[in-house]
This record gives sequence, C-alpha cells and structure tokens, in this order.
Amino acid sequence: MSNTNIQSADTLTLYGESFSSRLLLGTALYSSPQAMLESIQSSRCEIVTLGLRRQNPKDRDGAQIWDAIKSTGCRLLPNTAGCKTVKEAVNLAEMSREIFSTSWIKLEVIGDDYNLQPDPFGLVEAAEELIKRGFKVLPYCTDDLVLCQKLLKVGCEVLMPWGSPIGTGQGLLNKYNLRTLRERLPNIPLIVDAGIGAPSQACEAMEMGFDAVLLNTAVAKAQQPALMAQAFGNAIDAGRAAYIAGLMQKRQTASPSTPVIGQPFWHQRRHDKQDQQ
Amino acid sequence: MSHQLSIAIAGAGLLGRLLAWRLLKLGHRVRLFDDGDFQHSRSAAHTAAAMISPLSEVVVSERSIYDMGVRSLGIWPGWIEELNVPGRPAVHYAAPGSVVVAHPADMAELEQFYSDLNFHLGADNNARWLDRRDLQAIEPDIADQFDRALYLPDEAYLDNRHLLDRLLEEIRALGGECVAHQPIDFSPDAKMGGQTLSGFDCIFDCRGVGARQSEKNLRGVRGEVLWVQTDEVQLHHPVRLMHPRYKLYIVPKPGNRFIIGATEIESQDRSPVSVQSMLELCSALYTLNPAFAEARILELDANLRPSYWHNLPMIEQKWVHPQFNNGEMQNIVRINGLYRHGYLLAPTVVEDVLARLTEFTQTH
Repeated sequence: MSNTNIQSADTLTLYGESFSSRLLLGTALYSSPQAMLESIQSSRCEIVTLGLRRQNPKDRDGAQIWDAIKSTGCRLLPNTAGCKTVKEAVNLAEMSREIFSTSWIKLEVIGDDYNLQPDPFGLVEAAEELIKRGFKVLPYCTDDLVLCQKLLKVGCEVLMPWGSPIGTGQGLLNKYNLRTLRERLPNIPLIVDAGIGAPSQACEAMEMGFDAVLLNTAVAKAQQPALMAQAFGNAIDAGRAAYIAGLMQKRQTASPSTPVIGQPFWHQRRHDKQDQQ
Repeated sequence: MSHQLSIAIAGAGLLGRLLAWRLLKLGHRVRLFDDGDFQHSRSAAHTAAAMISPLSEVVVSERSIYDMGVRSLGIWPGWIEELNVPGRPAVHYAAPGSVVVAHPADMAELEQFYSDLNFHLGADNNARWLDRRDLQAIEPDIADQFDRALYLPDEAYLDNRHLLDRLLEEIRALGGECVAHQPIDFSPDAKMGGQTLSGFDCIFDCRGVGARQSEKNLRGVRGEVLWVQTDEVQLHHPVRLMHPRYKLYIVPKPGNRFIIGATEIESQDRSPVSVQSMLELCSALYTLNPAFAEARILELDANLRPSYWHNLPMIEQKWVHPQFNNGEMQNIVRINGLYRHGYLLAPTVVEDVLARLTEFTQTH
C-alpha cells in the first residue's frame, strides 16, 4: 500500500459513522453567514456544531440559518451551549433531535459563567439521562481521567476533553493529563475540544494521537476566517500524518544525520574542545 | 428641476423616510407606504442606538462598510442642519468620537480590536490609546474602572426617534403623501390590496425585514436593547465594552437617558427581551459605573436587523411586467440589507440611489 493510500484509508469513526476529515468546526461568531459557509468549505470539515439555545428553537426562529448550515452537506452536531443545568441540557437536546432529526448531541453543561468550564457532575448526570433516551452523546469535558472514565461508564463512546477553556486560544494547557487520557483510553475516539488558538496547537494535539480537533473562535474571529480554516485543515492533516508515520523520540545528545565517516577529524576535535570549555 | 417624477416608496423606516425626504427636496412627487403606524414605528431604525461609527463597525465587517460610513459622516451634519429649522426642537447630533474599554482581565479583547482595526484600515486607523489619566479627562465617570481604553475620533451618534418623527413632519410639509397600514406586496409586481400599483416612475422597496416573504436571501438578526435613565452618571461619548462573550455599547441620549445594546442572535424571533440578554445588558452597564445600579429602566426592545448572507447592503433594480397593467412596466428598486449599520450607511445609500435616478426611472 502506498503512503497516500494509508492516509486515505485512515478514517475517523464516531458512533459507527466514518469521516475523512478530522476537523470539527463551530458555526458561531462569524462576521456573516457567508464568511461561515466559506470557512466550512475551505476547512474541508465534515462535521459542524451548532447551538440553538438563544434562537427560540420552539418556534423554529433560527430555521433560515440552520438550513444554510445544512446545505453544506456536513453532518450536524447540535450542542447544548449555554445550558447550566441537567434539565436545560436534556430539554435542549430533545428539541435539537426533533429539529435536526439526529440523535447526536455535543453535550455541554456549563459550571462557570466566566470561563465556561464544564460542570463535571452535571455532565455525567445529563449524559446518563440522554443515553437512556437513545442519544449519541459527545460530551465536552475537562481532561480529568476519572471524569472521562465515568462518562464512558454511563455509555459515551466518544469524549471531547478541552485543550483549555473555550475561546481562550491557550492551546493544550495540561499535556500531562491529555497524554494520560490518550494512553489510558487507547480505543476511545478522543476529540480535543476548545481552547485551540493556532494551527500549530491543533497539529500538536494530532501528533499526540488525538483523533480529531473541534474549534470555532480561532477561525471565526480571524481577520480572514476562510484562510484560517484552510490553515487548520492543513495542520490537522499534517499532525495526523505525523502520528501515523511515528514521531522520532527526542534525544539528549546530538546525533548526526549524515555519517561521520570521512569527515575531517579536526571537526571532531573542535567539538571536544568546546565540551571541555 | 427639469422633470418631476412620481415615486412610490414601500416601507417608512429610516431608509424610506430619508429617501422620501430627499426626493421631495428635489421637487419630485412621493407617496410613502407603510404596513404599520408612522408614529409607532416597528422598524429596526426605531430600536437602533443610532451610532455613526465606521471604525467600530469595520472590526465586525469589512473595509467597504468603513468607506461608506466615512461618507455618511460627511453627509449627516448638513442634513441635520437642514432639518433643524428655527421654531422646531433640534434633533440631537454629535460627533465627539467614541471610547472602547475592556476590564483589565479582558485586555486581550482590546488588543484584538486594535489589531483588527490595523488589519482593515492600515494607515487609516486613527484610533488612539488612552491611559487612565486620559480617560479621566474625557470620560471621568467611567475612568475608575479601566486602566486603558481606545479613543476612536469623529464617530457620531444622533437621537434617532426624534429624527424619524422630524423626517415625517418634513415629508408632510413638503407635500409627500404618507399612507399608513397599507402593505405593498411584491409578487413580483408591486400590488396594493391586490391592485397593481400604476402611475409611478419608480417604486422603491425599502421594507427591511418586511421583505422577507418575497426574498429568500434576506433574514432578520435579532437585537435586544435596554433604555435607562439616571442623572448620577454622565457620558459624553458612546462607550463600547469589549468582553470575551459579548460586545455591548452604551450611548447617551438627551434627557439623562442611555441606550444599552445590543445582542446579536441569528433568529427571526421578535418576542420580548430574554432574561439572559437582560442580565448581559445590565451587567455591562453596571461594570461601567456601579452608580448605574440605581438607574431606572425605561424600556426593553427587541427587533430584527434586515440582513443578506454577506451582511452587506444591496441596491437592486428590476423591471416587472405586470399581467394587468395596460402594458405598463414597473420600475422596481430594492434597497435592503443594512443589517446593524442603518444610520452608518443610510445617507450614502440614499445618495447612491439619487445619483442613479435617471437610470432607475427609464421607460421601457
């Protein structure tokens, strides 16, 4: 199998559905719907999230923008952004399922109003309830191993730990925790959700073996969103390819990449001298 | 005046009124229709805070909005002067510039705002950084809360509700005919009560969100505002507060009143203001100066901004051949999509329309 074939056969599988893109894009905060649609296109993403909490979903008042997002052909992943209690989140999930005819839900239960940090206790409770009701839950969680284990125990098949709080662009703040999650949950799709500000950070998450990256602000608030979306798409491809290819181990000592045999000996001597100094 | 034209305008919001007034001033005959009441307007222009702020708005849009806004800043003072005749209460218009602030913890928001200005405007970015002492000098009542601010020169604001009333008076005084509670239907020919409109050289469709039924690409974007009154706080400029979650503004109005706005929600929902939005609007106000806590709430208002997918305005001409009209063509010009930029763009849009009047009224 050629290298290109390895990559084209490398798909992301979530709840039994396969995707070739490993970028999930949010649809909020753009300067116009047109800028949002162009960004979706240039990112080549196949899953988009959308929130309807404040759009008066009962009366379908956001229908026009929802239809535009649907027209991209991407899989819709409605979220429960803005919900602070289990009840709110469950109600909104039910409404989303009815409106978008999908049982997929990005579950957010917000515990802190300022940094929008997930409430881990409410999250597990809401996840359990929604799974009982037949939802396919993708929970937005922190990078805490025990929380992630509890979410798996109640039936989540995908986890979405944060890199850092929503909208901060701080990247992967606790790499130790993230690495632990990857090592301890090797067979669970893990999507780094929130806090990604730069393509290099998304690339790093992919190099670490995460299955995908979900982001919004970094693209939506860029001065040229469609170009930034493309940059993220490329970075995520690069990070994934690097992970599959196998990153070299970092080493303490320099190891020359060209053979030293045949090199003039005084080079070696100069190094020795420097070492002595 | 070489040739007097007969013009119909559907929609008596800001655009409809300005266009009617300018056409009448040029000596044309104007009939202005609205599906509602002229006094109690439901138009977005009635709800708006009415800032003319090309710098602030370029950050959430693109360069063309700034260029049109700068042109409007040049047009408004002359128009206001024409309206402010002796014997009538003067419409308040001021161009003191505006102030942008962020709390010390959110300073990145202000840095981002400045960097976005540079991106869009390059050398035309004339925003200036203020420290606490500078802020103390120009806006003392909020200086205690902020270490740094940005000053955006030349930005203006006006008393929009007074302006809308004053325009109506002028339209009537100049012989314009105002027809209330009379929707005009464009399907695609312009009809009134099922009858094709005839006898007009041009029919302008300025219905804003009212045109949504016949225009699939037009949508409403919900905005919510709060009006308060207090004499404990004085502001001399519109103030914008940058926060990670919401970008809100407070604009002083005559009579110690302030308007705080506006949320921006992708929804056609015109129901009353939500508690969540009220909390955000009040928090913004309170953090500017805690003395606002004792301000009295005068009004809460929610409305829809008429917007196309790119959030830019459009002027579109079309000729319609109605089925029953004795072979007479209708010249229809659609002007819409001013989004959150009504007062910023309207004068420029109206002047562009007037410059193309010959083209728009050609017979076919």
